[in-house]
Amino acid sequence: MKALIFGLTAISLVALAPGLSYSADCTTKVGAVLPTSVDWGRPIAATARMAVDLYNKAGGVKGCKVELILRDTQVDPKVGVDAAKALVDLDKVPVLIGAVSSGVSMPILTSVSVPSNVMQISCCSSSTVFTGLAKDGKTKGLWFRTFTTSRNHAAVAAKIIKAKGYNNLVIFYKNDDWGQDIGKLVKADLEALGVTVKASIAINDGQPSYRAEVVEALKSNPEAAYVALYPKEGIATMREWISLGGTQNLVVANSLRSEEFRDSVGIKYLGKMVGHDSAAPRTASAASFTALYKEAFKKEPSGPGLPNIFDAVMIALLAMEVSPTLSGDVIARSVSKVTDPNGTPIFPDEAGIKQASALLAQGKTIRYQGGTGAVTFDQYGDVSAPGLSWNFSEKGIVELDYITSEDINEFINSLKK
Amino acid sequence: MIQNLFDGILVGSILSLGAIGLTMVMHMLRFANFSHAELLSLGAYVTFVFDKLLESMVPALSQTIGGLSLTFSLIFAIILSMGVTGVSAIIIDWLVFRRIRDSAGPLSMVFASFGVALIVRNLISLIFGLKPKLYSEEITFAVRVSLDPLILIKLDQVFVLCMALVIMLIFHFVLSRTTFGYALKAVSENPTLSQINGVRLALMIRLIWLIGGGLAAVAGVFYGLNNQVSFLMGKDLVLSLFAAVIVGGIGSIYGAVVGGFLVGLASNMALLILPSGYKPAVPFLIILIILSIRPTGLFGEKK
Amino acid sequence: MIGIVSYLVFFLTMGFVLSIAVLGLNLQWGYTGLFNGGVAAFFGAGAYGVILFGGSNKAGQLIGFGLPYPFAVAGAVLLAGLLAWIVGLITTHLRHDYLAIATFGVAIAVENFARNAEPITGGAKGLRGFERPFETVINDPFWFNLAYLIFVFVVLIIVYNILENIGQSPFGRLLRAIREDEVAAQSLGKSPARVRLQAFIFGSMIMGLSGALYATFYAFISPQDIVPILTFQIWSMLIVGGSGNNKGAVFGTLIVWAGWVGSGWVLTQFAPVEMQLYIGTIQFIMIGLIIVLTLLIRPKGLLPEKLIISRSVARVKPE
Repeated sequence: MKALIFGLTAISLVALAPGLSYSADCTTKVGAVLPTSVDWGRPIAATARMAVDLYNKAGGVKGCKVELILRDTQVDPKVGVDAAKALVDLDKVPVLIGAVSSGVSMPILTSVSVPSNVMQISCCSSSTVFTGLAKDGKTKGLWFRTFTTSRNHAAVAAKIIKAKGYNNLVIFYKNDDWGQDIGKLVKADLEALGVTVKASIAINDGQPSYRAEVVEALKSNPEAAYVALYPKEGIATMREWISLGGTQNLVVANSLRSEEFRDSVGIKYLGKMVGHDSAAPRTASAASFTALYKEAFKKEPSGPGLPNIFDAVMIALLAMEVSPTLSGDVIARSVSKVTDPNGTPIFPDEAGIKQASALLAQGKTIRYQGGTGAVTFDQYGDVSAPGLSWNFSEKGIVELDYITSEDINEFINSLKK
Repeated sequence: MIQNLFDGILVGSILSLGAIGLTMVMHMLRFANFSHAELLSLGAYVTFVFDKLLESMVPALSQTIGGLSLTFSLIFAIILSMGVTGVSAIIIDWLVFRRIRDSAGPLSMVFASFGVALIVRNLISLIFGLKPKLYSEEITFAVRVSLDPLILIKLDQVFVLCMALVIMLIFHFVLSRTTFGYALKAVSENPTLSQINGVRLALMIRLIWLIGGGLAAVAGVFYGLNNQVSFLMGKDLVLSLFAAVIVGGIGSIYGAVVGGFLVGLASNMALLILPSGYKPAVPFLIILIILSIRPTGLFGEKK
Repeated sequence: MIGIVSYLVFFLTMGFVLSIAVLGLNLQWGYTGLFNGGVAAFFGAGAYGVILFGGSNKAGQLIGFGLPYPFAVAGAVLLAGLLAWIVGLITTHLRHDYLAIATFGVAIAVENFARNAEPITGGAKGLRGFERPFETVINDPFWFNLAYLIFVFVVLIIVYNILENIGQSPFGRLLRAIREDEVAAQSLGKSPARVRLQAFIFGSMIMGLSGALYATFYAFISPQDIVPILTFQIWSMLIVGGSGNNKGAVFGTLIVWAGWVGSGWVLTQFAPVEMQLYIGTIQFIMIGLIIVLTLLIRPKGLLPEKLIISRSVARVKPE
């Protein structure tokens, strides 16, 4: 049945293909600096590519085919910065997509994007340093990220943990800027709610064994565990945790929303697990990022940052569409026309992109609703979004409860008291 | 505490196996081989391939042994992989190191080996992809030996530890009882003199690569059983292996074994004294202390 | 055209900044035979130093003195020197691989400290809050980058000349004597231990200077900048260039750095679209091949050491 649907969509796509409006002789370049040589980086790059292909299928930017030039950062700041500079100077891209790690995105922003007047949009850089830089007026409005602030994620996590009725738990966090940040926020939120955090354990990348960390956590005999790790370390740590008899009352971050994690740890141990993520608003539209992704890759989106990079690319391309000229600052200013809360809601499948182009051409604004939801940037380029909880099923990933932005904000405010 | 001790010994036994080959090469060929850890990951992946091949050819082999997650096909695969990895080590030496050995200083060899490591690591990822693999997706549960103090032991762990000890013991007898062992000793003490006495140096070098590669393959598989098989294995393990060799004293095989255990213990005991964020630094700080007392490692010869 | 010039300015700036670190390493390894495996630690001390001393005080941050730029750089270099002095006292009596792994441990510890000690180093999210000197005065990105390139180049020339002079001075001969035969040097009444420590500290301070210029250029530093791969990069540059030869050190840096990043550019230009996701991996293989092939063709590096006994001898020698 599934194959039949795929087959039909494939046929209909082929049938639609001759109707494409772009002429092959004009191209618009967009640069991407992503860690394609890292396990969690390559799917992000593949998703960026998928977004560009989809956009091209719908006619391209201003009728021109979009060419995505992809460079590897090696998660090495100086290599990423050099790649970004080459894209800007040699390939003349007006928009940079990337990077993933904050430690790479930041020097690109300060030494390439801002000086060269290039818009930079990242899927996953979560560091609070960016907000600080924007507040100081140093980003010149050129910086955006589709990563919902860790503040929101942490609140959703704490809400879920509280609702589950756990009285105490341990936290495992990835020892990088994202992990340190969310680990600290969740801990603070839980303590405000009266949940005891028995231990907060940093998990460093690439350790020969994680048993010492797991044993350390087991010692406090916690009722539950909160896990903010990436798949590779997450799988290693959780296999160890479960085999040593750790509790299966798990709450995990969106970074582990991946079939790889489910299959490698085993669904039979993840029955009591709940995850948190940011969500698309519940609208009438049946289309979803997951459906688009499945169509392109024939599997569920798996791993951190995939809906985020999809949105980053789409928003950048739509902003280029509406922008009067293709210069960085003008495109950056045009983003607000794409993410206008009062605009027409648009989901960026092929029809949606075509509709968006038409509306924008008439001088109307749209409200972009993509993989991570209705993205609205604040003045510092940050987004907040509704949240949801999810868990694994045999077939895929099931979304459970939906938590509105209002609920999250109310919750955050209640914690401050 | 006791738990950390036991876990440290397990990780240590894997490091020891890898370190034996490394210390032999460092001593005989006088250079720090940064590509040695890639032999662990090569061995682990080759085993993975043979394991899947054998399972599909002879389904009966996919039966697990006792309470272990180990299958018969995996054991055969390890043996095959030892040979393949050893031969690969010889080929790498023949392609690269042999050509630089005679004409330049040890540092040229070191950084040629760094280049080789980059090539091998990324070729592996090109073939097998970036995502880690598992020999078996089943999780075997630990046995609770005691509740207070909490002691949990996995059968796999005990098996890996025993196997590592058996391999080391066999190796010990080879070194101390056979002509090959004597020849090896002679070569490492004085290559020129040993040649006069009829030891064929070129053959010895090949044998050293073969043994080093074989042991590395076993260590890689044991690491994979305990953790995951990933193309980054070499990168993650290379420094721990060097640390084991250095702390034991370059050239001392027994030193490498002790060094491996020491590094394993240090990283597992680390959390008793420092927050887990500082764990990567602890083994090295312990090495720093040991070296400031014994500058050529625990069993190293003073020159 | 202006794009190419602009990129070259940028490329050379990073190339020259790294060259300075490679020169510092050349003093330690090429001249003195000290196998320093902790380049990233001293580079990092300089990089963090310049932002800690020169940056403004931020909320939640214990340090940030807001010193004028020259003082911040001086502070950064001294911080690297101080670290080298402490590390050197413990480690410089070690030999070769033992020294390498001991200093390597120091680099891991420094990176770990930077990652975890949030109140001082900003933790994993990094540290910013630093005005690039003259940026507001010049106020044009291209000219600023060009001015910074010239500044870095001048610093490089100064460091290069100092090292060349050391190399040809009696002190330089002493360093080489210790490298070749420590016992012989000792029998001549020299103190190898003290000289080794001096060379270690001075070389590390040069690496600190390089780190300071690096962090100035980005106005930002994070633990990601000082992970072990940096040490390997700096070392490959020296070995490929030719250790013991300062020209070789600079030349090797530019070659290796061009290969490191240039391979990525070449691949994106010529590889088919379907290959794009694998370019990063292929780039690493190319980098490995560049290093291995250079060493296969020229095992002693591109510009091997030329032994100059002394300036006066060179002068009498008939040309």
